[in-house]
Amino acid sequence: MYIDPGSGSYLIQVIIAAILGALFYFKNIWWKVKAFFWKPKKEDTEGEDIAK
Amino acid sequence: MTTYTRHPSSFKDPSGFVFESEGKIYRQVNQFYAAQYRQLLDSGLYKQLVDRNQLIAHEEVADNKTGMSEWYTTLLPEPISPISYPYEWCFEQLQDAALLTLSVLKTALQHGMILKDATPYNIQFHKGKPVFIDTLSFDTYDPKQPWIAYRQFCQCFLFPLYLEHYLKTDIQKILSTYIDGIPVDFVAKLLPLKSRLSLGVWLHVYLQHSATTSPRANNKHTAATFSKKKLLDVISHLTNIITNFPANKTYKTTWSNYYEDTILSKEYLQEKEKIIREFCQQTNARSVLDLGANDGYFSRLFASHNMQVIATDSDNRCISRLYQEVKQKNIQNILPLMLDIANPSPAIGFHNQERAAFHDRIKTDLVAALALVHHLVIGKNISMPVLADYFNDIAPELIIEFVPKEDEKVKQMLATRPDTFVDYDQANFEQYFSKYFDTLEKKAVVGTSRTLYRMKRK
Repeated sequence: MYIDPGSGSYLIQVIIAAILGALFYFKNIWWKVKAFFWKPKKEDTEGEDIAK
Repeated sequence: MTTYTRHPSSFKDPSGFVFESEGKIYRQVNQFYAAQYRQLLDSGLYKQLVDRNQLIAHEEVADNKTGMSEWYTTLLPEPISPISYPYEWCFEQLQDAALLTLSVLKTALQHGMILKDATPYNIQFHKGKPVFIDTLSFDTYDPKQPWIAYRQFCQCFLFPLYLEHYLKTDIQKILSTYIDGIPVDFVAKLLPLKSRLSLGVWLHVYLQHSATTSPRANNKHTAATFSKKKLLDVISHLTNIITNFPANKTYKTTWSNYYEDTILSKEYLQEKEKIIREFCQQTNARSVLDLGANDGYFSRLFASHNMQVIATDSDNRCISRLYQEVKQKNIQNILPLMLDIANPSPAIGFHNQERAAFHDRIKTDLVAALALVHHLVIGKNISMPVLADYFNDIAPELIIEFVPKEDEKVKQMLATRPDTFVDYDQANFEQYFSKYFDTLEKKAVVGTSRTLYRMKRK
């Protein structure tokens, strides 16, 4: 079972990854701001896998 | 060199192929793939996946069974039976297969490898759980490159799941038409407007659709570079989308509450269960195909007698419910599959040989057709002689229930249509089936007009 590289599939992944990267970046900042103001009880929530 | 038959689906990948020899299924690894195969083993990836039951284990056989000059080694994978295909799975089965693919991909990346393809045909349900079976799908990872199988993953897994999620209808059968997955333009046109509010749909369907239809996009892929972090972001996003589909579908189908809603009494089920238990003690069958299994009430009974059960129903929700139960209770010997007896999965793919037809692929010692004959004869207009011929083809041993016209259920079915079924009675049933079968046992279900038979093919 084997496939040919999909034409267009490469570029679309570059775009999607860029958008997701930006989203995760802002989400990360949001988590930090939230952590600063709300001071969560668990320290580790700040470094939680932001991609989730 | 021994005689061997190359599996008709195994022709695309120069890395190796699957073949059958002396009743066993082997996989040849070619010189072309030697380096990647060594990496799979030496990096610890193979061991980690096998330990987690995510990849099928194999034994290496240092014997060139095909005598080919490109031979590197021969693998003898743990045997898998029965083989099923995505157009026979319910939503949750495809969902679990998708999540397994992503999990295997993520683990591969930790070992410097990547999946070079992502098709549901690389996955089989083995002992109640999905397992990855294509040992030659792993390639050396180049962090500058995106995932070569991304589009295939979307077409084969994500799109059918999206369609079923948004359209709330049984769409997976369509995969038997689209063997390489559902094309993005088709999905983009079918999804409802509200799906555009979802980021996942917007990125993976609409954006992909516009990119693939744009002439500029098609020749530009070499310019941009990628990174491992970017790939992990994409994988996390896909995993989240697929994990977060709501677990319980709300849509109801004809058969989804059959046992709760129907006129069938508890006494009838108990009486029938008693008879089937007796039949199970008499038979030597080790495998059973349960046709019209509904929620698997009798499939569980067969399974409790240590038979390998393939529980089939044409109703997606019934299969879904049974699959979730099998998964939750870790039942290893029931495989729930969607099957419409009036239209079983055909042979598909190149030369009509890549994926075998349902009954060519699934052979069992016993076939159970409980409370089914009237649905086929009266509901589907399949006459009894034709039906007897069909069972002769598929059933070395048969447990079958006859439901006569006096039965409430049949009366209901005939209330809305002219009764053209002049030969539909028990005497004719016995006569037609006696052409192919010897009746070993015959028991009336007390309190009803129904009769159960255990028959053996002549």
